[in-house]
Amino acid sequence: MSTLTKLQHTGHQPEGAPPSVPRNTQPAWLIVTLREVMVKTKDRGFAISTLVTLVLIVAGVVFNAYMDNRGDDFAVAVTSDAGRSVVALADEEGRADDGNATFEAVVAGSDDAALDQVRSGDVDAALLQNEDGLWTLTGKEEVSPGLSGGLGAALESFVLSTNAAATGISPQELLAGSELEQSLLEGSTENQAVASVAGFAFGFLFYMAAIIFGLQIANSVVEEKQNRVVEILATAIPIRQLLYGKVLGNTILAMVQLALYGGAALLALNLTGTSDLVGGIIPASGWFLVFFLFGFLILAAMWAVLGSLASRPEDLNNSSAPVLALILAALGAGLFATGQLLVVASYVPVVSSVAMPIRMLNTEVALWEPILSLVIALAAAAALIHLGEKIYRRAVMQPGALSLRKAMKLEQ
Amino acid sequence: MLQVQNLTRRFGEHTAVDDVTFSVPSGKMTGFVGANGAGKTTTMRMIMGVLTAHAGAVLLDGRPVTADDRARFGYMPEERGLYPKQPIIDQLIYLGQLHRMSQGDARSRAQELLERFQLGDRRKDKLESLSLGNQQRVQIAASLLHRPSVLILDEPFSGLDPVAVDSMVELLREHTAQGVPVLFSSHQLDLVDRLCDNLVILQRGRLVTSGSGDELRAAAPRRHRLTVSPDAGWVREEAGVRVIDVAGQDAVVELDNDDDAQRLLTAAMARGRVHEFSRIRPSLSEIYRGVSQ
Repeated sequence: MSTLTKLQHTGHQPEGAPPSVPRNTQPAWLIVTLREVMVKTKDRGFAISTLVTLVLIVAGVVFNAYMDNRGDDFAVAVTSDAGRSVVALADEEGRADDGNATFEAVVAGSDDAALDQVRSGDVDAALLQNEDGLWTLTGKEEVSPGLSGGLGAALESFVLSTNAAATGISPQELLAGSELEQSLLEGSTENQAVASVAGFAFGFLFYMAAIIFGLQIANSVVEEKQNRVVEILATAIPIRQLLYGKVLGNTILAMVQLALYGGAALLALNLTGTSDLVGGIIPASGWFLVFFLFGFLILAAMWAVLGSLASRPEDLNNSSAPVLALILAALGAGLFATGQLLVVASYVPVVSSVAMPIRMLNTEVALWEPILSLVIALAAAAALIHLGEKIYRRAVMQPGALSLRKAMKLEQ
Repeated sequence: MLQVQNLTRRFGEHTAVDDVTFSVPSGKMTGFVGANGAGKTTTMRMIMGVLTAHAGAVLLDGRPVTADDRARFGYMPEERGLYPKQPIIDQLIYLGQLHRMSQGDARSRAQELLERFQLGDRRKDKLESLSLGNQQRVQIAASLLHRPSVLILDEPFSGLDPVAVDSMVELLREHTAQGVPVLFSSHQLDLVDRLCDNLVILQRGRLVTSGSGDELRAAAPRRHRLTVSPDAGWVREEAGVRVIDVAGQDAVVELDNDDDAQRLLTAAMARGRVHEFSRIRPSLSEIYRGVSQ
C-alpha cells in the first residue's frame, strides 16, 4: 500500500472538481498524428522500403541517362565525294545534337565493294548514288532509324545547298518565309504544352501515390481493430479524432516520402545532365503541388473509409481495386476535359487535382476559383472521414469485412 | 455511484440483455457473475458506450453518463488488445495522453504501474515479446493508468498467476479506498468471495439478484447444521423442516424462520445429546450457485 498516497483520485464527485495533476491540452487527433509518424519512422521495415525505393529511383534515372548518352557510331560505305560530304554533314549534325551519334565514311572502290563491306558487317550500310542521281541506303538486314534519319536529313540539306548553289541563291534565301509561327487567342502555346506535360506528370504521380500509400493508410486504420485496442480507444476519444489523426499522420509521411523521392530523382537528373524536361515543369508546378496535397487528403480519407469497412488487413485486398479504378477514371477526366467540361471538372473533388491547375495554366482564372475548389476538396475529405467514422463505430463490434450497404444498415 | 437502469440490448431476434437494473456503489467492489452468454460483456460494453443500449440508461451520481465521464473510466475489455509491435512504455504513455494526461505524468504513472507488476525493466520491450501473462499485466496497467473515476473490468483475473492476482487485488483495493466504484466480472468464485462487497448475478440476459453480501445472505434460504447423537435420521419426520442432507449424526436442514429453528433444537434436545446447532453462513459463491440452478 506504499503507493496509496500517490494515487490521485480524479473521480467524479463534487461536480468533477479540478484535478491537481497536469492535464493534457493537446487535441486527440494531434496525439494520434504524432504517434502515427513516430511509430512509422521508428519502424525498420518502413525505413528499409523507403531506402529501397530511393535507390531504385536513382538507379532508374542513372540507367536512363546512360542509355540516352550511349551514342550510336555508324560506319557508312561511300563511293563518291558527294557521299562522303553527306556522311560528314550527318556526323556534324549528329555531334551537335547532344553528341549522340557519329557517322564515319568508309570509301569503297566500287558499288559492289561497298555492298560487300555491308555484307561482311564491316560497315552498317552503304550510301550509293546511281546514274540518274538517285541515292540508296543499303543495310544488311536492317537500317537503324538513327542511321537513316541522320543521313536522310544530311542528304536533304546537302542537295538543297548544292541545288541552291547551282541557281546562285543561298539556302537561307530559298527557305525564307517558310517558318510557321503559332499563336493562340487565349493563353500561350508554351503554357499549354507545359500544362499538359505537368498535368500528366502530376496525374501519374497522384495515381502512383494512391497505389503506394493507399493501402498503408487503410492498414493503419484497420490496425486498432485487428489488435482490438479499439474498445479502449473508442471509450477514450471520439472515433472521428482517431481517423483525422490517422489521415493526417499518413499524409505527412506520404508527403515526406514523396519529397524524398522527388528530391532524389531531381538530384540524379541534374547530376546526369538530363534535366531539360523536368526543368520546364518545375516553375509551373506550384498550383499542382497545392492541389496534389488536397487531392491526397481526399484520397487518404477514401482509404480510411475502406479501412473502416475491414476488420483485418486481408479484407482490404478486394476493396482496393475499384477505388484505384475510380481514381484513374477521375484523373483521366481531369486530363482530357476541355471547355465548359474542364471548368466543371476543376471543381469536382479528385478530378480537380489535375483539372484546376491545367485550367489555370491555359486561361486566366480568378484567384477565388482555385480557393473555392480547394475548399470543396477539403469539405469532401471531411465528409468522407465522417462517413468513415459512422462505419467504424458500427463495425467495431462486427467481425469480418463489411460491404458499404451492410455497414450503413448496422447499428452500433 | 454508478447505476444501471433497465438496460436492454437485442441482437436481431435474440435479447442479450433484458431490462437489467443494478448499482455499483462508490468505494465498493462489485462482482459481476453469470454463466457464459449471460450478458455480462454486453452490459459492460453498454456501460462503456461501445454498444448502444436499446432501452434503459447508465447513471453516474444520478445523472446520465456522458462521453467525457466515460473517457475517465478505466476499462478492461473482454477482447484484450494493445499494439503488439510498440514498446510497452510508449503505448501506455500514448493511451495516457488520449485519456488527457500530460506526457510526463503518463510516463511516471506507467513506470510506477509496470514496476508494481515486476515489469519495470521490460518497459522498452515490444508487447509481443512478453508472455501472455505479462501482456495481461500491461493491459491492467492500461486500464488503471489515468487514475480512473470508475473501473469496469471484464474478466480482469483470467490468465494471471497468483502473484499477479495479489498485486491486482491490492491495486483494486487502493482504488476503492479512494471511493472508486469497481465492477468486475469473473468466473473465479473464490476470488469473488474474497473480494466482493457486492454481487450482481445475471442469467440468460436477466438479472437474478443483486445487492451487498449481507443483503444476499439475508435473502438466501436459512440453513442450519445439526449434530446429535445417537442418530439424526428423525429430522426427516419433523414438520417445517426441509432436509438437505442427513448422514449419521449430521444433518443440514433448511428452515423458514427462527421459530422453526427453536422448535427443532428443543426436539433434538428431547431426543438425546446436541453437539452442534449452527446457522450456516453461505459464501457468495454458494449464493450464486443457489440462484443459478
